[in-house]
Amino acid sequence: MPVNSGLADAANVLLFTTVILYALAMLAYACDFAFARQRVLAGTVRAETVAPASALVAVGAGGPDVPVSASAAPPAAAAGGSAGGPAGGTQSRWPSGVWLRTAFGLTCIGVTCQVLSIIDRGLAEHRVPWGNMYEFLAAITCMAVLVLVAASIRYRAYYMGLFVLLPVVLGLGIDLTVVYTPAGALVPALQSYWIAIHVTAMIVASGLFIFGAVVTTLFLIADRSQRRVAAGRPSFSAGILAHLPGSVVLDRLSYRSILFAFPVWTFGVMAGAIWADHAWGRYWGWDPKETWSFITWVVYAMYLHARATGGWRGRRAAWIHMAAFTCLMFNLIGVNLWISGLHSYAGLPG
Amino acid sequence: MTTVDPEARTGDLELAEPQRPAPAGAGLGVAGWLRWIWRQLTSMRTALILLFLLALASVPGSVLPQEGVDPAAVSQYYAAHPSLAPLLNKLSLFSVFAAPWFAAIYLLLFASLAGCVLPRTFRLVGSARQKPPRAPRNLARLPLRASYRSDVPPAEALEAAAKTLRGRRFRVQTGEGWVSAEKGYLREVGNLLFHIALLALLFSIGIGGVFGYKANRLLVVGQTFANTPTDLDVFHPGRLVGPSNLQPFEISLLSFHAQYVTSGPQMDQPITYQAPLSYRSSPGAPVSHYDLTVNHPLVVDNVSVYLIGHGYAPEFTLTDGAGHVQWTGAVPFIPVNQTSLTSEGVLKFPDARPTQLGFAGVFLPTEVDVRGQLQSAFPAALLPRVSLVAYAGNLGMNGPVAQSVYDLDTTDMHRLAVAPRPLAPGASIKLPDGDGTLTFTGYTQWASLAITYDPGQLPALISGFAALAGLILSFMVRRRRFFVRAQAAPDGSTEVTFGGLARSDAAGGLESEFAGLTDALRALHSASPDPASPDPASPDPASPDPVSPDAASSDLGSPVPSGPVPSSPVPSQRGSEQ
Repeated sequence: MPVNSGLADAANVLLFTTVILYALAMLAYACDFAFARQRVLAGTVRAETVAPASALVAVGAGGPDVPVSASAAPPAAAAGGSAGGPAGGTQSRWPSGVWLRTAFGLTCIGVTCQVLSIIDRGLAEHRVPWGNMYEFLAAITCMAVLVLVAASIRYRAYYMGLFVLLPVVLGLGIDLTVVYTPAGALVPALQSYWIAIHVTAMIVASGLFIFGAVVTTLFLIADRSQRRVAAGRPSFSAGILAHLPGSVVLDRLSYRSILFAFPVWTFGVMAGAIWADHAWGRYWGWDPKETWSFITWVVYAMYLHARATGGWRGRRAAWIHMAAFTCLMFNLIGVNLWISGLHSYAGLPG
Repeated sequence: MTTVDPEARTGDLELAEPQRPAPAGAGLGVAGWLRWIWRQLTSMRTALILLFLLALASVPGSVLPQEGVDPAAVSQYYAAHPSLAPLLNKLSLFSVFAAPWFAAIYLLLFASLAGCVLPRTFRLVGSARQKPPRAPRNLARLPLRASYRSDVPPAEALEAAAKTLRGRRFRVQTGEGWVSAEKGYLREVGNLLFHIALLALLFSIGIGGVFGYKANRLLVVGQTFANTPTDLDVFHPGRLVGPSNLQPFEISLLSFHAQYVTSGPQMDQPITYQAPLSYRSSPGAPVSHYDLTVNHPLVVDNVSVYLIGHGYAPEFTLTDGAGHVQWTGAVPFIPVNQTSLTSEGVLKFPDARPTQLGFAGVFLPTEVDVRGQLQSAFPAALLPRVSLVAYAGNLGMNGPVAQSVYDLDTTDMHRLAVAPRPLAPGASIKLPDGDGTLTFTGYTQWASLAITYDPGQLPALISGFAALAGLILSFMVRRRRFFVRAQAAPDGSTEVTFGGLARSDAAGGLESEFAGLTDALRALHSASPDPASPDPASPDPASPDPVSPDAASSDLGSPVPSGPVPSSPVPSQRGSEQ
């Protein structure tokens, strides 16, 4: 069936609109950080009232060998109202303040546009719209923003907006310029209902992994800043960190996203193996993409084990998390661009 | 009860991830050393290092060409790096995933895994028989806590609470003035299921490697082949597979159809491949038909047959000087460009007279002339042409090393002065001295089939899904304990305290479960609730915050994040923090 070019053009326009909306949302999130002083001060006051009790408790629990949780507990308590979970505190789960409401509203409209763009592209091509790198990047950035919206409402992680949208906007910019591929049909190897299962799982997992990696980056910055402040040295990131919850909350948020992402990724790899068995005659053949999805799986498994093991929790586990995310990104970008294999569907001139 | 219950403490210290100490092993004798090595091997640190090595060792397998994935790329690498390649080969870097060092890593990892999983399985069975521990004396120190007044007498209040908790499928123990309840054993079940399923997966892969086989066969339209080692182009049998173990089916390729995008930016891209087959499961069996396409393998006698490639086979006829047909047939040419299907192949005539003849040819499905250079503009055969270079002399086919049918050894041959012009179907090359003609009569197509038999496939699939189920269970279920204490207050009412803690981190939900249970218990005990008692759902400075922000921060290994009993006789509460 030929491509419906009218729908395909509309999908492109929608994606451009999405990028603009995301960029405006970022601006509004930044304005929230810059101008919404009131709310932050209130949070600080609350932190001071809670701090003594929490600090005692934390020292009792962690002991001197666990500086991360000991020093992180007071800010965590401060942020508990905004990030501790839906049952805690009296704050509404909806954003407060005009800038934050604007930012979140723009994010929601933007992600709606992006979902419509993806559906539109699928209708134009009469197939699931994840057949090349352009479509895959659009899908995983969309998933990352959906995770952001869900985490904002569920865990009141509105403070993540700016930091998640930054890589999303960059990714979409590259997507629309460098890797843009016009709408078209699929090669025979991809003509299978398994594309809807395998690639969808990979997209969902990748979106969650992106969110987790952004949170962990913030965790590492917050953790470093807290250690510097504790050591009496200046912290360059303290200004922006005043708007964020403490490292304990960030660590938990990123861990939760991995708890969701890892089984989905596992399922995606398994679905890929079943598909590979249908298409290529073996369920595992160490194709570069397969190898790197295995490496990614192993390193994320390392993160999960490290986070459950004393002496590795906190900063070390976070660095393993970043290594795992690097493997994921290399699998997405490096393997597509530099290593040829059976998964070379990127559709890039090369 | 005034002292901390030691049973409760040890219970709390039992970790989601087991404590796996690795004491030094100096001066312990052989048994001591072995035990020390075993403890080292099964420690989490070693497991992490082995996981890291496994990931690291896989990297060269994706960067360097692999014998098992693309042998031709390995040969190219040898040609490009003649001094480096033999060294890499010695290190098994062209077959990383079959290398002894790679096997050493994953076997050690699985030994470590088994050494961790087996003791934990026994421990799980043991803990499933035990009752939950007594309630700690001071529930206000638990991460989740609430308290309220009730007019129901303490004994009745506790009985009602125990009934509610049992109704919610908690394991419940009661005592003087307290009720304790525990739930979430499925978490450890899931964790163990995941790890045992990984062992089963490795075992399944092993079964496939021993009892299965892989083969390839290039089949020109009209040809038939039987599933025997001599009739297969490439045959990789498992360790215990002999020629007699092969399923005796036969397959004929009836025709081949390919469709391509004819315009637009995706021009040249294939749309469909179709290879109609006829087959029978044994030489005497009835013939069946199957339309083989990509993603839809033929399964015959538990063996799967896949369509993995295709190409053109130009047809030629060789006649001698007297006009007698010496040879006629189709010669498969191998695509050198997957987009345009420009293909190369050779023709060898060892029986030609007066000398042996050889031809090196290029087949262009849709010939175009780009500034004097012949190219193919489209993968379908719209304007098929063959361009041949003719050689006469000794083909060298009697040497000790078997020659590939796709290579022409021209060392003992001389080039014939016939123009390498492209031939249209029906056109011929006249050989010099009236020695005959070679006619390009037309073309047909070929399909390459992959044949796999893997008896470990179904066990691998089941293991995979078991691992996934275990993973989800262990991530979603949280092992948690709730405690209720009730005692008579001086004013004659009953003071009910309710506390809870998670013994492992999971995807959340403990706070809401605790809040729900608190509401249920309050409703149960609310003969006449005290209006002054704090609402457990909102923070109140007079009583401890019912939902501590630390509640959910209990990590997998630190079940007691905010230190419920600082006077505990056990020195460290973070058992795995060493």
